[in-house]
Amino acid sequence: MGTVLQYLDQEPFRFLLSFGAVLFLVLNLAAVLTMAERKVSGYIQLRYGPNRVGPRGLLQPAADVFKLFTKENVSPGRSDLWVFLGAPIAMFLPAAAVWLVIPFSPDAVIANINVAILFFIAITSIGALGVVMAGYGSRSTFSLLGALRGAAQMISYEVPLILSLLGVVMLSGSLSFVDVVAAQGDTFWTWYFLPLLPMFLTFYVSGIAEVKRVPFDLPEGESEIVGGFMIEYSGMTWALIQAAEFASMGLMSAITATLFLGGWQPPLPFLDLGAFNWIWFGFKTALIMFTFQWIRWSIPRLRMDQLMDLGWKVLVPITLIYLLIVAAAMLILQEVF
Amino acid sequence: MLGEQRPTEEEASALTEPATSRLMRPDVRDEFGLETIDMNMGPQHPAMHGLLRLILELDGETVVRCDPVMGYLHRCQEKIAENRMYPAVIPMTDRLDYFANMHNEHGYVLAVEDLLDIEVPPRAEYIRVLMCELMRLASHIPSIGFLMLELGAFTPILYAFRERERIQSIFEAVTGARMMFHYIRIGGVKADLPPEIPEQIWKFVENLEKNFKGDFVDLIEGNEIFISRTRGVGQLTQEKAVEMGLTGPPLRCTGVDFDIRIDYPYSVYPELTFDIVTDTAGDVEASYRVRIGECLQSIRIIKQCLEKIPEGAVMAELGRRIRPAEGEGFGRVESPRGEFAVHVVSDGSDTPYRVHYRDPSFVNMQLLQEIVPGHYLPDIMPIMGLVDPVSGGWDK
Repeated sequence: MGTVLQYLDQEPFRFLLSFGAVLFLVLNLAAVLTMAERKVSGYIQLRYGPNRVGPRGLLQPAADVFKLFTKENVSPGRSDLWVFLGAPIAMFLPAAAVWLVIPFSPDAVIANINVAILFFIAITSIGALGVVMAGYGSRSTFSLLGALRGAAQMISYEVPLILSLLGVVMLSGSLSFVDVVAAQGDTFWTWYFLPLLPMFLTFYVSGIAEVKRVPFDLPEGESEIVGGFMIEYSGMTWALIQAAEFASMGLMSAITATLFLGGWQPPLPFLDLGAFNWIWFGFKTALIMFTFQWIRWSIPRLRMDQLMDLGWKVLVPITLIYLLIVAAAMLILQEVF
Repeated sequence: MLGEQRPTEEEASALTEPATSRLMRPDVRDEFGLETIDMNMGPQHPAMHGLLRLILELDGETVVRCDPVMGYLHRCQEKIAENRMYPAVIPMTDRLDYFANMHNEHGYVLAVEDLLDIEVPPRAEYIRVLMCELMRLASHIPSIGFLMLELGAFTPILYAFRERERIQSIFEAVTGARMMFHYIRIGGVKADLPPEIPEQIWKFVENLEKNFKGDFVDLIEGNEIFISRTRGVGQLTQEKAVEMGLTGPPLRCTGVDFDIRIDYPYSVYPELTFDIVTDTAGDVEASYRVRIGECLQSIRIIKQCLEKIPEGAVMAELGRRIRPAEGEGFGRVESPRGEFAVHVVSDGSDTPYRVHYRDPSFVNMQLLQEIVPGHYLPDIMPIMGLVDPVSGGWDK
């Protein structure tokens, strides 16, 4: 047994194993999230949600996946086939890859790289490429509109997203997720969401925009452009897009929890669970996912011009000004003490 | 960027190569010489209130041209009515505007009664008004929900349909059907109200009045996104609205206090007190406020009806066969969408010579062509919510 573990700890095996683990985690997370989404929406909307398949409807995701596997994968006759089929993969891979650098607990991080924040920014930018590919490859007006909206939105909201990350980088002095979590301490008032409250809110809002959920689901816009960039997809390609959407939603919650809510740190020192601190991480991530869903089912969608106004005229100035304030405060504190 | 500011055809044709296809025609190029996109929205589209097709010309996200195409649900209602006996047309009218069936029946029955020149027992009149106002609630509340659905919020529609379900249960108890009632008959109504129903209706409206603010007004109006998506969208001037012959909430939201129930009173409306709800802004938000106000007025009318309803027969004495003398009959009612009018011409036989329906959905639809150009593509949805047409109504 010991030798097997030693072997698995060697480089190629370790890589394959951890990648398998991440894939397993992400796909299951997507499945659980679809279920959670439907249950939460059900309770918000005075109904039960799925409750027929398995005990209390818990096997519904399995039934969904089975259905989607058996469906024919239809692609439009005029579509650019390679781009069309590549788009779901281009959307899914970035959403899955960033999970590699997220610290689940002090020791459970697959790749503890010291530029994790940079890695996160770089990889999530690829997501916009997938949307454009999907819209271009389908050769449909609705898809094209959705893709253009998606590209404009995701690129615009990356600016406030990155700017709000700068605050975290300044406070912790590190680009590594592990260091950021460690720097936040094990009391909830030292977590970064309090000193960086405007940045936390900006990150949260632009995070929702980045994962394309209501009120920023313009690329999808189900009542105007009926699914937008994913209108022509069916069967497993559509399932992959959905998995990517839910995985990136989970990812954004996990990143928010890591950077602003103390990651695996317990809210108070006596609540330290030792090796089980990943429970805290999971709890915080689930909490943010729930707020995403709560917003999703409560409020209407913005219009494109209003979306751009919010991004460039509200969020970017707020973060820029607060960045200055943080810098000044840090300088003054350094000088005084 | 809009149609008016573009170069005229002569100017543009000097700039561009000869027109070979539709897209190459000069009128689809803007001042930068860029082409616009043609887009078909519908007939199979979730936000098109049934089967409407909009041919859109888009300049980026801005709509340059909007042509509504109707006829995907045409069922020859008027022609079929010519081959059916007078009472047998009533179930057909249920299929016109299927969100306001009672009003369709009422309009047609008023026209035939005008032709026959008969008196309807007062209890029947009260029951008709009661049912019509319940129907108005059952139509306005979901249409507010549809507006929100089209703006992207899914939850209000389910709250709205909860109320509609309750009204439908009342209808089921009274008429035996949930949607296609065939309840208002020539000379009265099919049957008297079941004994427990008045109290049930009273309880329902009390409950609705109590929860109305929380469930519909606060949830919707309290949201800044809703306001920013609807305020100033679909702005319409009073003159334009009158010129186009709009009726119902799209007209009243511009400030014209025109309501058939008061201006051309029918049934027992003169005996009831209620206000015409108007707003001055003339945009989508105003039409939403008008609908909200009308719901509260309907509740008021229902309560008065329940208090005032007299005892007595619910059906006038008529022969078995309805065979009006030669002539014309006209009936108009205020349906939730506007003025629903019916013109019936008789040639003395037992089938109408001609039946014509003036449906508010059909007339109000012209609004789209007028006001959609210049708006963004996502603004079409709230404007559809302003007009709130019903497929069965505009296609007949």
